[in-house]
Amino acid sequence: MVGSAINEPLDGTAPLDRNAQSASAARRVVGAPLSEDSQIAVAIRSLVERGDMDEARDRFGELVVLHQRRATRIAYQYLRDASDADEAVQDAFLKVFSHISSYREAWPFEVWFTRILINGCLDRRKARSRRDRWFVGGEISSADEARASAAALQIDPEHKLLGRERRAKLAGAIDRLDGRQRTVFMLCHYGDCTPREVSVMTGLNESTVRVHLFRAARKLRGLLGGQP
Amino acid sequence: MIHRAHHLQEERLFDSYMAERSGGPIDPPVAEHLADCASCATRYAELIAFMDTLRREGDADADAIFTPERLRLQQQQIARRIALVGRPARVLSFPGRIVQRTINASASHGTHRWIAAAAAAGLFVGVAVGASYEWRLAARGRLMFAADTGQSRTARPAPVAGRSNTFADGAADDAFLSDLELALERPHTRELLAFDALTPHVREIRDQR
Repeated sequence: MVGSAINEPLDGTAPLDRNAQSASAARRVVGAPLSEDSQIAVAIRSLVERGDMDEARDRFGELVVLHQRRATRIAYQYLRDASDADEAVQDAFLKVFSHISSYREAWPFEVWFTRILINGCLDRRKARSRRDRWFVGGEISSADEARASAAALQIDPEHKLLGRERRAKLAGAIDRLDGRQRTVFMLCHYGDCTPREVSVMTGLNESTVRVHLFRAARKLRGLLGGQP
Repeated sequence: MIHRAHHLQEERLFDSYMAERSGGPIDPPVAEHLADCASCATRYAELIAFMDTLRREGDADADAIFTPERLRLQQQQIARRIALVGRPARVLSFPGRIVQRTINASASHGTHRWIAAAAAAGLFVGVAVGASYEWRLAARGRLMFAADTGQSRTARPAPVAGRSNTFADGAADDAFLSDLELALERPHTRELLAFDALTPHVREIRDQR
């Protein structure tokens, strides 16, 4: 269930403080006008409550269009597997629609959705680490990635190969970040979230988010030698 | 240029970067320092370059895989899955008729016996009628052949022509049968060829003898 999922720990190490999260969320929205996606989410919620499911589904398409690219970027950076990321994004949207009646304006929709997405990604990472104990994976994890790489090689082999190596190095460096640092970094850097929004999502203090973010960037610079 | 004893800490530079990225203003003292101190300004520029490259590489990586076409497919899949939300789950019907039949097997046992007896009788009658029909045809053929040989013993058709036809028919039959044999010996399904190659065959043992 979404309600329980969003209170789960983001890095799987320590549970987040629910009160801190609610308080933080409440602080954020006082006096703030609803964003476009939040307004659509509220409209969908009322449509669902009225039983007008077809109209609700149509409106939900707008939300999907608004958040899809950002969601796939976050999920892909988190999971480094195209199929897994695809499924994680689909599941997140499905969860949002199934539990739209529990959405409250106190949480900006983006924050609510991202949190659901991140929880899904974390679950998948856990499942994958369990699976990897038994199976050995290849360097390229999915056929799509292999196709993408092959297509890229055809365009400009040397340049693309170097780019691929650089990205692999970057992915490896991000993977070496501490769980919470990684989450904060992903949300801020690839999810376009401000430290304040990340603080709402994770329930961490905003200054703690900043510290994690700074440490993550410093560690990455160390690992990548100043050049990604 | 005003000389400064202390440079800006990395943390402050990073905060400035974050503030600038989210469209906010940089802390005025920091902005002032950056304007005055070339060293810090260089460090700040390096930080921005590093973070921007990091972000650009990550986005390009994801966008290369999630093309607009793939995103469109994803949208369709989401729409399909959402269409099922809120609808009653489809229940697969359990094969109740079979179960019912099993339960009532003892009751309908007599009926089944009659059906089996009728089918056996039908089969027997069919075989008998077929056999008698073939026997009659063969007898009629023999009678006609005898009449033909009696009537036109002088105008007998050339045996060579008849023989060549028989040979041609036999050759065609042989070719057909060998084709059939070949077709049956080797599987046509490409996926099964590997298995077929690994499986020992009777024909190989037979050929060795």
